[in-house]
Amino acid sequence: MNSLRSWLARRLLLGLAQTVAVVLLVFALTEALPGDAAVALAGDDPDPRRIEQIRAAMDLDRPALERLADWTGGLLHGDFGTSLASGRPVADYLSAGFGPTLLLAALTVALLVPISVGLGVLAARREGGALDRLISSVTLGVYAVPEFAFGVLLVTVFALRLDWLPPTAVGYGTDLLAHPAVLVLPVLVLLSRPVCSISRLVRAGMIDALAAPYAAQARRYGVSGARVCYAHALPNAVAPAAQQLARTVDWLLCGVIVVEALFIIPGLGTVLIDAVAARDVPVVQGLAVIFGLLAVVLNLAADLVAHRFAPRTGVAA
Amino acid sequence: MNPTDPRTPAAPTLPRASTPPEPTPGAPRRRRPSPGRFALGLLVLAPPLLLALFGPLFAGDPGERGVSFTAGDGHWLGTDFVGRDVWRQVLLGGHSVVLVALSATLLSYVVALPIGLTAALTRRGWLEEVLMRPLDVLLAVPSLLLVLLVAAVYSPGTLGLVLLVALVNIPDAARMVRASAAEAASRPAVEALRMQGESWWRIAVGYVGRATRRTLVADAGVRLTGVLYLVATAAFLGVGVAPDAADWAVMVDRNRTGLFLQPWAVVVPALLIVGLSMGTNLLFDAALAPRADRRARTRPPTRRRLVRLIRPRAGAPDEARPVSAQRSTRPAEGEEKRR
Repeated sequence: MNSLRSWLARRLLLGLAQTVAVVLLVFALTEALPGDAAVALAGDDPDPRRIEQIRAAMDLDRPALERLADWTGGLLHGDFGTSLASGRPVADYLSAGFGPTLLLAALTVALLVPISVGLGVLAARREGGALDRLISSVTLGVYAVPEFAFGVLLVTVFALRLDWLPPTAVGYGTDLLAHPAVLVLPVLVLLSRPVCSISRLVRAGMIDALAAPYAAQARRYGVSGARVCYAHALPNAVAPAAQQLARTVDWLLCGVIVVEALFIIPGLGTVLIDAVAARDVPVVQGLAVIFGLLAVVLNLAADLVAHRFAPRTGVAA
Repeated sequence: MNPTDPRTPAAPTLPRASTPPEPTPGAPRRRRPSPGRFALGLLVLAPPLLLALFGPLFAGDPGERGVSFTAGDGHWLGTDFVGRDVWRQVLLGGHSVVLVALSATLLSYVVALPIGLTAALTRRGWLEEVLMRPLDVLLAVPSLLLVLLVAAVYSPGTLGLVLLVALVNIPDAARMVRASAAEAASRPAVEALRMQGESWWRIAVGYVGRATRRTLVADAGVRLTGVLYLVATAAFLGVGVAPDAADWAVMVDRNRTGLFLQPWAVVVPALLIVGLSMGTNLLFDAALAPRADRRARTRPPTRRRLVRLIRPRAGAPDEARPVSAQRSTRPAEGEEKRR
């Protein structure tokens, strides 16, 4: 109990440090790097008036520490500042893009777990067979492929050649749930990498678990093969995969950005890419903080879940 | 220990201090050195890699710009969004992806090696903390986000992209170096070298560096796959490349508007990128798995064993960091006893 508590305390402390680091890093990379940020932001259009305008809008004349304090103070109150490009509050941008992104992410995670566990168990039960080799090779191969290349090929085949699905989400508005056909390809692309990695982990864990002495003992007692597999081996095999889910969160955040750019879905990723292109720093900062904190929190949550599944791993770690 | 474990940066297994990393003696040995997969990887990787390395030699003159998005008409693969010959762009476009990925991987190790080695070999706990703890915290930030963040303010060129991608990979690489070096540094041989009064340099490079060589090569292969992914994705999003650059990822992005008219301008570069990343992963998996496994029972630690033993969760920020620094490497046995 004691070790659990100290583990928990350490983990929460790390999460807190990461939260602070994300905020500091976002600020440092965008505003506090050496050189004049206003000149850099004006970019290809080094018009003195524009530079002056940016400097005034971002309060660049004040010391960096003061700006940092103001900005973090605002963040604590949910105030993300105002956009350089439009003058609208950054929070508006965030709430506008939130729905589609959440929908994509939720659908992906909901499908991810059953598909990857199913594939992993299937491969493990037929270990060494043709099906296992097929699943292993395909997951190993697809695992490394960037989403945009995979997605473009899917669009070419399923939207252009076969004309089964729409190629992009243009013209469907933000209510994507009303048009499920639009979501098929994006979710498929988002699933491609996480499914591969998690199913490979489940497979490896299942093979280890099925070969373990306790599985053999259960069989000797006459417990049926299916029960050994699903009731005894699977929970042990899933624990490593549960921790891998946290890693997947990072991919999903990256994947969402790419997939939204590819399928032109009006979510947070599109907002981010547009803001990067327009050098709209306050919007980029706000989104980066949101994405970064999401990654920290989900990592933390996944660790706690994994700890619940297999407490010994936490103790061992 | 299963030879077909995912051996990719994001496919770790848990450290299991409670179960020995070696399989139980009675368990059937599953060892499948797969020549088939090696050949498959080579087959998939060869066309894009050859094109990337030697394509620019055969590209020839730019020729005149034709009409955008036409098929045929003297152009083998048609024309792209500004009327350039797609085949010529394909020949030119692999160079940057491969070069940036290779140099970024190399650079990340150039920085990570000294950090990791110092952290593993130092006797001063605080030095290790100072070196490694900031990296742990950095691991939480999604890599693509960091790249985009910098791109929002500065326009990184090719060199900037190399630096950025290397920077993103340093924390994880340093952790890997530290983990494998800590294992080697705890061996009696290092103790003996120390007592003989050998120099730090000789111990670090001459013994520990050599002992961890294999692990690090395997890890570098895995990292290269991840770097390829990041470089291509960044280029697709327009970071670190000119908007009309001859780059496969940029071609996919820019020619998407003409997908209905001229799919080849998108499909060919996309297929090449798929081949490049898929082939690299398959090849490294096949090339490194059997040898690494053979060595698993002798002294040099293999990457996979380390991943199990030391690394709490490869590539990710994690719960184990606070302890793993001291505990999971050296007194691993002690912990087992305590259970």
